[in-house]
Amino acid sequence: MITPEEVAFYIKNIPPAPSVVRQALQFARDGDLIKAAKCAQEDPALRLYLKTLVNRPIYGFKNEVSDVGQIFGILGVAATQQTLYNYLLSLLTPKKWELFNLTNHQFYDLQASLSKQWENILLYLHIKDKEIYSAISLIPATIIVCNALFASTKKEVEQLRSVKALDYNTILKRLSGSDLFDLAAQIGQMWDMSDKTIALIRSASGTHRDLLGEQKILAQWIHLLLFYEFSQSAYVSAGLNEFIDFQIDFVDDIYDSFSQVIQPL
Amino acid sequence: MRATVKGRIGVFHLQGFLDGNNAPSFLTIDDIKATEALHIDMLLVSLKKVIFFNKNGLDVFVKLLTSIRNSKHITVGFCDYDHKKFQTINIFYKDAIDFSLFKSEKIAELFVSTNTSNPKTVLLYNEDPSQRSAMAIELFDYGHNPIIAQSFAEFETKKKTPDLYYAIIEDTQLGYFGQKIATRVTGNAIIYTVSNFLDAEIGNTFNIAYHNNSLNVGFRLFIFDAYKVVSMNIHALNFFTKLASSAAEYNAAICFVGFSFEKTPETFKNDLEDAGIMFFSTMDDILKNKELLQELGGGGGATVKQHRILNKALINELSHFIDATVSTLNMMTNAQATKNSVRIQALTIANPTDQFASSIGFYGDIDGLIILVFPKTIAKKACELLVGEGDVTDEEVLDSLAEFVNIIGGRAKVLLSENKRRLDITLPRTYSEMDTLMEIARNKKGVQVDLSFEGQNFIFFLTR
Repeated sequence: MITPEEVAFYIKNIPPAPSVVRQALQFARDGDLIKAAKCAQEDPALRLYLKTLVNRPIYGFKNEVSDVGQIFGILGVAATQQTLYNYLLSLLTPKKWELFNLTNHQFYDLQASLSKQWENILLYLHIKDKEIYSAISLIPATIIVCNALFASTKKEVEQLRSVKALDYNTILKRLSGSDLFDLAAQIGQMWDMSDKTIALIRSASGTHRDLLGEQKILAQWIHLLLFYEFSQSAYVSAGLNEFIDFQIDFVDDIYDSFSQVIQPL
Repeated sequence: MRATVKGRIGVFHLQGFLDGNNAPSFLTIDDIKATEALHIDMLLVSLKKVIFFNKNGLDVFVKLLTSIRNSKHITVGFCDYDHKKFQTINIFYKDAIDFSLFKSEKIAELFVSTNTSNPKTVLLYNEDPSQRSAMAIELFDYGHNPIIAQSFAEFETKKKTPDLYYAIIEDTQLGYFGQKIATRVTGNAIIYTVSNFLDAEIGNTFNIAYHNNSLNVGFRLFIFDAYKVVSMNIHALNFFTKLASSAAEYNAAICFVGFSFEKTPETFKNDLEDAGIMFFSTMDDILKNKELLQELGGGGGATVKQHRILNKALINELSHFIDATVSTLNMMTNAQATKNSVRIQALTIANPTDQFASSIGFYGDIDGLIILVFPKTIAKKACELLVGEGDVTDEEVLDSLAEFVNIIGGRAKVLLSENKRRLDITLPRTYSEMDTLMEIARNKKGVQVDLSFEGQNFIFFLTR
């Protein structure tokens, strides 16, 4: 169905980050938002993306915000870095989602919602690390990769799933040795994300049971946050609720805290 | 979301959070239609991976389950939950629970018909005596051996030795039970348990699809355990007469055991005998009489006098069945199977040791039986996608082989529908011993295709 060679070919063909975004990211990492904004200003697509993103209801601004400098100022260093990664990811979204019943508009809504909820979670956990802040941006890459790899085998997977409740992530792991989170982490590597961020993305699958300390806690929160979002009506209809396996035991001990930070549906 | 079907049970596997807002999104109109079209005896919603649910969320599924139960007379309910979730559901629905609750899928499987003889010893407790009895009767009727704890203290004591039981049944309750006539398999005979007064309702409660499946996969002896039957009316008489006629086409025998005609007209007995139905006083009269058992067909397929022969319609579609097999193997393993030879002959297994086999019957515009015989290593490789790598027991491989042939059956169905041929598939059957397979397949002529896969041979056999 899907061979390791096909997976390697897909990853090899992921385009590198545009130089303008790379530069803007570097300035953001250094904490220089003025230079980052100046850089971002040069890319019209990035400008439009930023404007559309921060004016989504979840950001709660009363008046439209359109100036890139102003946007970066409002977001702050960590969220700017995260948003630039979100933009990079948006460049990989397909023109038409074939596997999932999803629109790009819904995908961007999901990105925005994950980012905002992650911010609340890190606030609750008293974590201010910029790299950890950015990790959430790469999680929706799992959806893009899954759509790209499985679009042509949708019928076959449906037949498989008619007899066994297998998710795409498990199927991919068993056929190719890598799961969707490993592939998202590989994309992160190509975009010069830190080792810490990449390790966190990998562990968000909830299948790594040897995690310890902060990495385990963060992986648990990302995993549960994912399923909170995937349980939203629009994403259930899109088929996102079924594409990875929810490791309920993995998140059991943080559920009570989670429901304090984020009210259930 | 589509239900996953294993054996005769369909299960919706929900994940994450479930409330009144998102629950309708799990089920499109197409999903509901597909669920209604399933040939199943039980439809469940698994709560194993649901971390949060409320009553509004459950209500959406209860509505669907109730509607399907009313139209198809099958058992419906929820499964795979812990004690806390069980209590929550009971609080939500208080005394008005009219669906079933099974603590696990494994427990639910004990309450449906299978096509293998596999009686299990289970420990059972429910604080409600009527539930306790109802479950015990159902389990017994399905061929199992329930050990009933009469008190919580007794249950707790017995629970300390879990190895003695296949399953410990607690936090489980039956809603509208007895939706279908209980069925069990003993050797090569199928036993249906009927009770009370038999009337037109038997047409709803008797699982005709299961019965036809059983005929198609080679069962030839059907016994109605009628000890608890008081009497029957003309509608039931007509039903059994028709059943006997259709069984005759397969040279199958239908018997009644323990039916007293005290309150039933003697003419009914004559009519049933004229239709070919036989009557015995006790179950042992058949099951312990080997000679009679052989004659009736319960000793295995070899005793069947008339063999259904291969026909042109089936041969014409051979390529579709082989394509379905090869492409399924390819999908599951990423490796290609190649065809070595095709011959019309009786099933010939060169090396019957270390082999697993599975079969699936099909009926509709054409009918027949697909048998696959694999070396154990190939069987394990073919099922790796379904069970994962690592140490896998023979039982798990056989279970997955059943799923594997089910997929092949599904693919063949799709391929043939392109030629406007309508097909239904039976329950899959697996064999860990080739002797058992040969009881069914011996003397059946068919098309044997020898295929090779990663340097080893396996057999595809198509017959009727």
